[in-house]
Amino acid sequence: MSKILEIKGLSAGYGSLRVIHDLDLIIETGERVGIVGLNGHGKTTLFYAIAGLTHWQRGSIIIDGKQIGRTRSQGPGRYTHLVVKEGLAIMPQGDEIFHGLTVEEHLDSGAFTPESWKNRKQKREEILEIFEPLKKLIHTPVGRLSGGERRMVSIGRGMMSEAKVYMADEPTLGLAPKIGKGLLEALLKIDLKNSAMIIAEQNVALLEGKVDRIIGMHAGKLKGEASSSLSMGLKN
Amino acid sequence: MNDIVFLLINGITVACIYGLVAVAVSITWSALGLLNLSYGFIFSFAGYGAWLAERHLWGEPIFVLFMGIAAGVVGGVLVCLLVFIPVHDKPNFTIRGMIGTLAVSLIGGQILLQSFGPKAKLLPEFFGYSKIKILDVTLTADKIGVIISSIIMLTLVVKWMKSSRRGLEIRAMMMNPHAASIVGIGVRKTGIYVMAVTGAMTGLSAALLSQTYYLSPFSGLTPMIKGVSIALLGGLGSVRGAVIAAIILGFNEALTTKFIGGRYVLITQFTLIIIVLIFRPRGIAGILDKAREA
Amino acid sequence: MTKKKNTWKNPLAIWGAKGGNYEVPTPPYKDPHDIWKKTNSYKVPIKKIGRFHYEYKSSNHGNKIWNRLRWWPTRRTILWTKGVYNRKSLKAEKIRKDKRPIFWFFGLLFLAIAPFILPEGNKTALLTAGGIFGIYASINLCWTLIIGTAGIFSLATYAIVGISAFFTCWLSINLGLPWWTLPLIGMFIGLGFGIIIALPALRLDGFYYGLLTLGLNELCRVFITTSKAFGSASGGLFGADTFINQDWTPMTQTYASYYSAFLLLIAALFLFRFVDGKRIGRILKLAPEKKESFAEASGVDYKRARVTVFLISSVALGFIGGFYAAYYRGVAFNLFDFHTVVMGLAMITIGGIGRSEGAVVGTLIIVILDRVLIELGPMRYIIIGVLMMFTILFLRNGLFGIRKQFKEWRNKKKNEVRSTRVERGGEMLPEQSTEMDNKDEVYRKRYDKMQREFLKTLICNEIIEEHKNKPLGQHSEALERVLYYFRRAAMNDKYVVKCEEPFKKYKIMALSGVRGRSPRLVEDKVYPSVTDAYHGLFLRRVQDLMEA
Repeated sequence: MSKILEIKGLSAGYGSLRVIHDLDLIIETGERVGIVGLNGHGKTTLFYAIAGLTHWQRGSIIIDGKQIGRTRSQGPGRYTHLVVKEGLAIMPQGDEIFHGLTVEEHLDSGAFTPESWKNRKQKREEILEIFEPLKKLIHTPVGRLSGGERRMVSIGRGMMSEAKVYMADEPTLGLAPKIGKGLLEALLKIDLKNSAMIIAEQNVALLEGKVDRIIGMHAGKLKGEASSSLSMGLKN
Repeated sequence: MNDIVFLLINGITVACIYGLVAVAVSITWSALGLLNLSYGFIFSFAGYGAWLAERHLWGEPIFVLFMGIAAGVVGGVLVCLLVFIPVHDKPNFTIRGMIGTLAVSLIGGQILLQSFGPKAKLLPEFFGYSKIKILDVTLTADKIGVIISSIIMLTLVVKWMKSSRRGLEIRAMMMNPHAASIVGIGVRKTGIYVMAVTGAMTGLSAALLSQTYYLSPFSGLTPMIKGVSIALLGGLGSVRGAVIAAIILGFNEALTTKFIGGRYVLITQFTLIIIVLIFRPRGIAGILDKAREA
Repeated sequence: MTKKKNTWKNPLAIWGAKGGNYEVPTPPYKDPHDIWKKTNSYKVPIKKIGRFHYEYKSSNHGNKIWNRLRWWPTRRTILWTKGVYNRKSLKAEKIRKDKRPIFWFFGLLFLAIAPFILPEGNKTALLTAGGIFGIYASINLCWTLIIGTAGIFSLATYAIVGISAFFTCWLSINLGLPWWTLPLIGMFIGLGFGIIIALPALRLDGFYYGLLTLGLNELCRVFITTSKAFGSASGGLFGADTFINQDWTPMTQTYASYYSAFLLLIAALFLFRFVDGKRIGRILKLAPEKKESFAEASGVDYKRARVTVFLISSVALGFIGGFYAAYYRGVAFNLFDFHTVVMGLAMITIGGIGRSEGAVVGTLIIVILDRVLIELGPMRYIIIGVLMMFTILFLRNGLFGIRKQFKEWRNKKKNEVRSTRVERGGEMLPEQSTEMDNKDEVYRKRYDKMQREFLKTLICNEIIEEHKNKPLGQHSEALERVLYYFRRAAMNDKYVVKCEEPFKKYKIMALSGVRGRSPRLVEDKVYPSVTDAYHGLFLRRVQDLMEA
């Protein structure tokens, strides 16, 4: 087991607001980690900081041995595509979708590496196996789908590529409990051979027993097992 | 009857050339949010590129045509590097970007004037001088060539936009730039692709127009303004709308010249555009949902 | 030497004290102040980004604070001044809240006396350029009203001027109208043309309208240049009646034209002031871009105000067109050129869109480059282009936006630096500590945190060994510090030793800290003697300390 994501001393925020405070987080290959916290305690900002979408950030973020953290204070999103290419699959919160693309094209847009672009048909099939309801809608523009279906597309888009770290930001937010559970099941089906997954969620009960460990997030800090027992052992 | 068909074909030819510029303006606006008014400069730049290639490299018409397209790509990328990349994430981007492209065309036009002088240049006929007679309408090779080559160009671009990874990226960025960056689409890189493709279209139209008319440092101005009007009528951001608008305006030009007089072409054209825009503010095809808020 | 230091001798040993070790190895002495100093010092480099901004303050007297000069019949003061008291010296001081009138006054004064102080050699050329500056600055002020105040992105401004100039010139030539009617007729032409092009402005969004007016400009150019009546052969229409008498000496003619253009500029400035600064301008300031729907919902009829401003500006532009025809005795086609539009845009962008001083200063810069430095040749257009590029690449809103942009940048940097300076000093985050009523608690936690950090450095095998040997009695300095801290802990969850069977079975418990609630058993481990239990309890506390 190796560390696939290692965050050290990460601080991030927007303007004069500091949301993430000196955060450390280590995630091993093959792990499924749940991050639980209330609204406004920095879950989304943590994801955005990893992706380089915050206004400013400091600290080191290492994905699979590659440093992607940088100290910068302007141009949110300038380097996001480069960061994403290091192997980040972000399944964002809410309606970050392309209204005019069809479901098929939308899924394809997630395949950003040349290999995954080549294998996109096969991948698409796999995802449609997981999300049965999308099969019928494959040529429908995403803008016409319902909220749950949109979320499925958005998660499916994240699953299209062979990412190293999957980050799902509140996959069940605003959905009927049953649909939300189904989506979570789908997330758990992703094969994590050389990768890891972080799921941010407000509802602890949904994650309990399904992920390897649950980390609490409070006021920009992590509470609980910020690194798995294994790496703690290595440290001592 | 013969006359009218001839005029219609003239109209289509003109529509093809200006339609290319219009589609270029349209794609740039909707994908990058950039109102590029430097297509006039790119047009002249591409024309001079083709002219230089003909003079110094190889006189073969097809080669010259391709060199024109290549010069258009260079011009487009140049504008992208100078204006789009530095300003795209700053406040008031739309107006600053537009003024930046105007500044580029001002500087570029002056540099072209300095290097080549105000004398008009002429490119060779790319498609020869043969004529075909179909149903007692004489078609010159030149017109057929213009129509076919611009249709090929447009089809290639539309096909590329529809099926390739880059095209998908461009279309995704048209719709939601923020989500696009989350999916790993680089705004700046995509900007270069967009400007290269639209530059190629402008380059083709420059080469095609300069063989019939002439080439001067500011000859790109009229095609650009025509292209902008077509894009406006078609609805910025819609390739289909731009094509329809190009045909309508081409016919309008032909018919007005025939029945009212050449001087009134622009008047009828703008009356048409204003009437359409008053009823459908986003042009013929219009974009159904709200346009990108820059 | 070092070895000697690392042993501790019981000072009470010479008196034969019972209990405690006599001589034990101990960690070297550590200064408890170090952590205090470390926590209280800034570790982040402090960048020099201040927020002080210098302002000239003239002296004042308390009696004079309300005694000000006013414009005669109104209550309006000449300068917006404010009496303040200096925070440090408590002296009464006067500050000018708005210094722009001072700059305007001196700028316009310079323009007014310029003919008398300009060098004799190229006076005529400079005054001609000054006349052009006056006319173009007036046009750009009206344009600023349209783009800035009304928020309509129109590029057809020069087209309105041109149409009005051509028609009035034509009327003057063909009907022999005197010069003073030309601006008045121009006003009507401007109004008519303005109404026509205002129609689509009601329906179209900003940039669509910009493109449309760009086309309209081209339409006017093509229509006028191809029309015989407007002199398609001679490159323009010439021969209108003029107010500059041909019988005057050339110098007098130059003076007359310069001062007439200067008066036009003054009139345009007044128009700007009375449209932008009065009711209609304020209505439009209530409805900025993208917030129109909110303004509309609050009862602001911004559309009507926009069209009104547009029409007022069109009338003014028509007036300028008639003036132009009378001024130059005619008009040339280049007024419709795309080049003219680009130059006009350069003028207002370099100065800053939406501000009168931006329009005037921008025009001044471009006119100097374009008309005065003619010997530069075509190079001057490249310079203008580079200036435009520089403006849009680095400045948000031209020259006159620099001040605001700099302040914003400085604020942003300051905030960022400040937010990174918040360290993990205390146990609490800044947000939490604002929610805490008892601020002593914040400081206590901060102190406690420092103390624990220090004590952690003292824990080592030596003191554990020392405690194991003799849990009670006099201890070395290091161990004594640790034990004092443990003893001082709060009652809840404090460990105690429970004697289950004297001299045989001892267990460790934790107090509840609440009266009446019994302590809970912490572990089942049984210690055979009280000393062992003491040491077990000590280890437990050490563990808690190290883990916290």
